[in-house]
Amino acid sequence: MGANQWSLMDKCCDLCRHSSETPCRSYITCAVEGPLCHDNIECREKRRFRISEIKNGRNGLKISIGMGSCGLAVGARGVYDATLRELERRGLEASVIPVGCIGLCYMEPLLEIHKDGLPTAIYGRVEPRSVGEILDTYLEGDVSGASALRNRVGTAKGELEVPLLDEIDFLRYQVRWVTRNCGIANPESIEDYIVYDGYRGLVRALESKPEDVIEIVRKAGLRGRGGAGFPTWLKWSICRRAEGLPKYVVCNADEGDPGAFMNRMLAEADPHRVLEGLIIAAYAIGASYGYIFVRAEKPLMADRLERAAEDARRYGILGHNILDSEFSFDVEVIRSAGAFVCGEETAMLAAIEGGRAMPRQRPPYPATHGLFGKPTVINNVETLAHVATIMSDGWEKFASYGTGGSKGTKVFCITGSAARTGAVEVPIGITVRELIFKVAGGVREGRRFKAVQIGGPSGGCLPENMLDLPMDYESLTSAGAIMGSGGLIVIDDRNCIVDIARFFTSFTMAESCGKCIPCRVGSKILYDTLTRIIEGGGSEDDLRILEEVGTFMKNASLCALGQTAPNPILSTLRYFRDEYEAHIKMKECPAKVCSKLVSYAIEGGLCVGCGLCAKQCPVQAITKSGERLYHIDASRCIRCGQCIIVCPRNAISRR
Amino acid sequence: MVKVLIDGVEVEVEPNSTILEAAEKAGLKIPTLCYFPGLFVEATCRVCVVELSGTGRLVPSCVFPVSDRLSVETDNVRVREARRIALEAILATHRIACQSCPRKGACKLLELCREYGVEGIPVCAECLLYGGDCLLTREEACLGPITNAGCDGVCLREGKPCVGCRGPIVSRDTVREAVKLYVGYGVSLDMVLSRFSVYNSSQPDYCRIVKLLSNLAEEERHNQGV
Ligand SMILES: Cc1cc2nc3c(=O)[nH]c(=O)nc-3n(C[C@H](O)[C@H](O)[C@H](O)COP(=O)(O)O)c2cc1C
Ligand code: SF4
Ligand code: SF4
Ligand code: FES
Repeated sequence: MGANQWSLMDKCCDLCRHSSETPCRSYITCAVEGPLCHDNIECREKRRFRISEIKNGRNGLKISIGMGSCGLAVGARGVYDATLRELERRGLEASVIPVGCIGLCYMEPLLEIHKDGLPTAIYGRVEPRSVGEILDTYLEGDVSGASALRNRVGTAKGELEVPLLDEIDFLRYQVRWVTRNCGIANPESIEDYIVYDGYRGLVRALESKPEDVIEIVRKAGLRGRGGAGFPTWLKWSICRRAEGLPKYVVCNADEGDPGAFMNRMLAEADPHRVLEGLIIAAYAIGASYGYIFVRAEKPLMADRLERAAEDARRYGILGHNILDSEFSFDVEVIRSAGAFVCGEETAMLAAIEGGRAMPRQRPPYPATHGLFGKPTVINNVETLAHVATIMSDGWEKFASYGTGGSKGTKVFCITGSAARTGAVEVPIGITVRELIFKVAGGVREGRRFKAVQIGGPSGGCLPENMLDLPMDYESLTSAGAIMGSGGLIVIDDRNCIVDIARFFTSFTMAESCGKCIPCRVGSKILYDTLTRIIEGGGSEDDLRILEEVGTFMKNASLCALGQTAPNPILSTLRYFRDEYEAHIKMKECPAKVCSKLVSYAIEGGLCVGCGLCAKQCPVQAITKSGERLYHIDASRCIRCGQCIIVCPRNAISRR
Repeated sequence: MVKVLIDGVEVEVEPNSTILEAAEKAGLKIPTLCYFPGLFVEATCRVCVVELSGTGRLVPSCVFPVSDRLSVETDNVRVREARRIALEAILATHRIACQSCPRKGACKLLELCREYGVEGIPVCAECLLYGGDCLLTREEACLGPITNAGCDGVCLREGKPCVGCRGPIVSRDTVREAVKLYVGYGVSLDMVLSRFSVYNSSQPDYCRIVKLLSNLAEEERHNQGV
């Protein structure tokens, strides 16, 4: 894309009077459907041409490369560079755009090619050196090597063998509502966003009264996607009615749960949608300033949001007198120092004020006493993206998804031992089983499903027989898990439940801010008790300690970090008690994970005396004990398990 | 003014009062540890928790605001249980060397621990000789440092060394503190052990503690170069 090229955001001719100083109400609609205030065939043609160029690429050739953090991590930058190189070598002119992640993390890096007249093809796990070949075969009209197609046109070779994108199991059950632009629009271009129907929700909101905006969100039934599931409209309306000026809105983009990346994916792939939601929220409550609080460990997300705000400001969608509505609002992106507890709303406010990020007792809630003591609304990234979409597409469509008390769709992140990992958007109320076995394709080959941890370190661990539970706020809470931010970690039979519980506890113990006694000391007591059990020193009394201290933390901690920290333990005690008991009574780890409780031995009949294990053993615990036999000295063995991996005869057993 | 029910007692208070203030007005005492009006009111110790009637929710009374017709219970089983564990948790990170603490028994934490039946505090915490003429300084084999407090017994009042009738403290840290004292003052460990056996040899933990005492004493002597 040339730098000096005319863009839809620019004036089409001198008759256009929109600028950030002299805003025009119809600017957004006019940019795509215009010109509205005058009629000129040239101005109309200019738009038509540019829109087609954005949608179909320059000269009808468009290459999109998945360049979210996930794509970049597996080498998308190299693919991007290779694409530019290969195009140049062939003398082809085309649009090459970076796009966000469409959630198919297991297939990254992804490269999508569109050429007018050919089906749009998606190639997965692309390497820089294969780009040239992909280009050549595709342009010759052969798509047989593609991983999926967006459409079929009946002109290309091998079209019928390649599945349509919507036919892939991973996408078939999804509803792409809030993630609709992910992987399609260029997140660094406000123009793209507007071509793909962006900022229409804002236009609609600015045409309505703030009360009516709140009413639409109420009718949609939107609940917060950041964890607690509080009705968004209620928070807004409390804040709108609260006394005190100025009012603030804060976008909570401090996503910190291990295994959750839906906010990052959304904000990286479609930052303007989040920004649009934030502006609408500000309008609804009457806020004049906002903050986007981003986790510093997710720099691309911060960069994209910052860039989105800059662009919006440049074109008069943010700042003074937005689109001539007399509503003024501006935002600032703040990078958090990166503690998990910063995501807790009162801690976040303290951090924005320049203090140390420690939660404070609520009430009073931020909606009445928030940032600098003023009424403040804090909403999650995904909540805000939903707001923008609800305002543009109408609440009826949103409310048609989901269950009675939990409307709409939710983005879940599936990680761990799932066959297909990634982020998926599904209607709330889908069962856990459908999500894991249909969408994610079950557990990885050769393993068996054991449990699923839902809701990150604050969530609970559910066993096989609970899988028919619908994923909605109430059902999950009653089963001892939580919706949380929507992370699912699939656990297979090679994992020890007690060890997993200790892993999550070690996370919360480290992340506890230390302000209140139940969480600061309680998490340490829980951790120490689990360690004792794992190391074979546990007693029956320890289970009582876990339950007693866990319940105490749940009831008496100051903030939700401490209140939910014992969930992994309490839920596994409920569903996997026998595994705890095996560690305590039999001093045995059924999954053979807890190293202090397992021992290694070489089976005489199988060993051929090759000596590989002895070479591998880091502490020289294995010695030759016969002509064709080696022996492990149990007192020296540190149970690292290295010997099992190298033994070619499977002669070593773990007991 | 709003009306609130504290343990069934109705009181009228200012709308922005806390539950704690309302309880005071109702003449009820709620224990606090970290509440210092004007200095520090952050609700960190959670010892002042009370239950919002009918919800099962525990909230810190020192900061929680009242609302009209709010009803709370300040002393039911759940509340007492939570307070006990909160105290135990505080003690778990506390070096229980009451013998050498400058507060010399004037300690709210100890008082509350006694009230809520928290075990693990040594007799020294309530010894009448506390800070004065400690028997260990006279090389007497007093079992105070390793015995559970709460007897308020005749030995204390008579200035006699403790014989350990309330049972031993099993926490390793407390025993370590005690051993430091014994070795430091040059009290004979054999004397301590023989005295310990009088009331404690039938304790399930007897052998373990004897072993612990001997091992730690060995270590301590080594450390102090005695
Ligand atoms: C320890 C802790 C971490 C949290 N982290 C996040 C987070 O990363 N993102 C988020 O949106 N909400 C997080 N929350 C929830 C927020 O406190 C708050 O409820 C949420 O941002 C409200 O927005 P919503 O109503 O749109 O869900 C966290 C809460 C706790 C207690
Ligand atoms: S619950 Fe944990 S994180 Fe929350 S205030 Fe208490 S110590 Fe801090
Ligand atoms: S690696 Fe296996 S076969 Fe070879 S010496 Fe060790 S136990 Fe025997
Ligand atoms: S007195 Fe410590 S929490 Fe209330």
